[in-house]
Amino acid sequence: MKFKLPKPSFWLVTLAVIWAAGLFSVIYRFYNGLGAATNLSDAYPWGIWIGFDILIGVALAAGGFAVCATIYIFNLKEYRPIGRPTVLTAFLGYVLVIVALLIDLGKPYNVWHVITMWNHHSVMFEVGWCVMLYTTVLFLEFLPAFFERFRMVFWQDLFHRILIPLVIAGVVLSTLHQSSLGSLYLIVPSKLHPIWYSGMLPVFFFISALAGGLAMVIFESYLSARAFGKGIEQRLLANISRVIGVVLMIYLVLRLQNMIERGSIKYAFDGSRESFFFLIEIILGYITPMILFFNAKVRASKAGLFFAAVLTLFGLVMNRLNVAITGMARSAGVDYLPSWMEVAITLSIIAAGLVLFRLAAKYLPVFPREEKLGDHQPPLVEAGRKGKLVMGLLAGLLVFLLAGFGYSLATQKPNQPAAVPEAARAIAAETLNFPAPITFTPSEDSPGQVTFNHESHVDTSEPNCSSCHAGLFSIRASKAGAVSKSPAIGHDQCGTCHNGEKAFNYEESCDGCHMSSE
Amino acid sequence: MKAAILTDLTKCVGCEACALACKEINDLPRDSANHMLTAYTWSSMEHRNGVNIRRQCMHCEEPACASACPVGALTKTPEGAVIYDGHKCIGCRYCMIACPFGIPKYQWDKPIPVIQKCIFCYEKALKIGEQPACTAACPTGATIFGDREELIAEARRRIAESPAKYQPHIYGLKEAGGTSVLYLSALPFAELGFPANIIEESYPNLTWKVLNKIPGIVTTGTAFLAGLWWIVNRRIKLQEKPDETV
Repeated sequence: MKFKLPKPSFWLVTLAVIWAAGLFSVIYRFYNGLGAATNLSDAYPWGIWIGFDILIGVALAAGGFAVCATIYIFNLKEYRPIGRPTVLTAFLGYVLVIVALLIDLGKPYNVWHVITMWNHHSVMFEVGWCVMLYTTVLFLEFLPAFFERFRMVFWQDLFHRILIPLVIAGVVLSTLHQSSLGSLYLIVPSKLHPIWYSGMLPVFFFISALAGGLAMVIFESYLSARAFGKGIEQRLLANISRVIGVVLMIYLVLRLQNMIERGSIKYAFDGSRESFFFLIEIILGYITPMILFFNAKVRASKAGLFFAAVLTLFGLVMNRLNVAITGMARSAGVDYLPSWMEVAITLSIIAAGLVLFRLAAKYLPVFPREEKLGDHQPPLVEAGRKGKLVMGLLAGLLVFLLAGFGYSLATQKPNQPAAVPEAARAIAAETLNFPAPITFTPSEDSPGQVTFNHESHVDTSEPNCSSCHAGLFSIRASKAGAVSKSPAIGHDQCGTCHNGEKAFNYEESCDGCHMSSE
Repeated sequence: MKAAILTDLTKCVGCEACALACKEINDLPRDSANHMLTAYTWSSMEHRNGVNIRRQCMHCEEPACASACPVGALTKTPEGAVIYDGHKCIGCRYCMIACPFGIPKYQWDKPIPVIQKCIFCYEKALKIGEQPACTAACPTGATIFGDREELIAEARRRIAESPAKYQPHIYGLKEAGGTSVLYLSALPFAELGFPANIIEESYPNLTWKVLNKIPGIVTTGTAFLAGLWWIVNRRIKLQEKPDETV
């Protein structure tokens, strides 16, 4: 891919710039806190690090368990060539998800608490455990590549024996947490827009991850073929693409049926920002690639498959971002756009994934040996033309998105103010009960005892306790009367207002406050 | 007794005594504004078109935040308070997402932040049988402390006594499966910024319905996959050596 282009230095510079910005952002984030580095807020506690890096990172790695199950459980040995690259993609995906999570967590050094402090009622707890275990499984599944590279026959043999249990564990764990990422949002029925909220969220997340994970196999195979002339047989990719088409169809049927059942289909065409983002997601990201994958001509063309795979990935990205960000905007009451530092860190993580994949593919037996020849290069002319088409479409889409975003911002109605309840206000003032008069213990040289009355100090039409309380005088009953007995401090406190400006000056009249007992 | 707070917005004069008492007992910075909830304001007073709206944690009977927390840093005490243990917290902020009332707040300005919210003065008052600082400070009796059942009866009595004055709705009676903080108002709650589409089912139940299926999925899933592998493998072996067919 990027790395075999005529000017590698350009990509190296780009990479250096991204990583420099990312490194700066990470340091800044840990030094100054999330508020300074991100556009997150109490209204928007989760941004692109969760919505993109984690939700999408995990979903894109779903190819790992699907392909492993195909090869080892269904015993379809012809798919072996795609086994390693897919497991590698998945493993790197999870490692980077964990990196993103550690940057996003407020107290990353406490992440191990999930292991010792159980709350089995928490979806997050379950996701944490599954991600931990499945990352371990993926690591073990990829280890044989090292053993092969360094000719460690004994270990190779050992891992061959435990492979089936590993694969089964991987499939079960993946099914659990791919769907659980959707379950995370089951608890927000009053916050997530009805277009996306559904009791079926875990099922939808699982199915769309399956489609996205398989699309990732095609995506990475195409790029690998361009980058190092290693790739995967077109016939296998065509078969996979047919499966993606079916998965997308099942997803669409279930999703639309569920929307009709829940009555949320009416929001899909109401012209709101949500409907706009939903239509882009469904039409461009699900319906279009499904039609393309069902077309024999597309399946026969490397670039065609790549294009359809990119659209599938786009649909997945849109879906996760819509759930995490677009769908939550209305209830949050504010809009969220990531800060440049959030973007820089996300880009750095993606770049790290590409670099690590490239290094692994270069130094480890990731792709099948017999395909190392250069004859799997796709025809560059065709790819170039299609590439331009993709870029054009994406650019057009971006303009479309921005226009829709601007339109929806412009047409948003301000909240209707509540009617002024005159009656309620009058009743409220009547009920005002002042605390009992507070008598301060006089000091020895006091000219007389001071008794404080709230009645003479509070404007009953607009009482405001904060002009005196919590700053000058304690408000809590247990501490009442605790004003200092020393005259200087007593005068300082009362004198804040009794200074001749706001109220009479305490120095001018002692018996205004000090009542002699005689 | 199940501790609860009843806030009657029609009696509130907006003096902010509750908000100030909260800051004092919890040692929160007093210079920050009181009009909205933040990590440094756990009890707020919003003045909206002449209505004074006191806000604080609702202390749900079945708190979404406590069920969402992966490490059990948030818990509901037997007395009724939803409290928080910052030492356990990992900072994932799922409680903020999960809470339907948007109560837990985050210290966005700190490199090592914790979640913050009203804790019903649990350690300093409720646990030793005292009422929280806010209800103790209220000069009009607009926000009062008591037993939940008794406060519900009191709220019902007030509505029945002057139906013209009140909305016929005790906010918190059924919302989110019932909360320990209850509200009465002259205006519809939706107009006062109270989340209107809160469901009456317990929020933790929404995720538990799915989570409790996991042991079943793990056992049947593993058995199914192992069985599938065994059958497929056996068929392949039999195809390779057809003589051994039984």
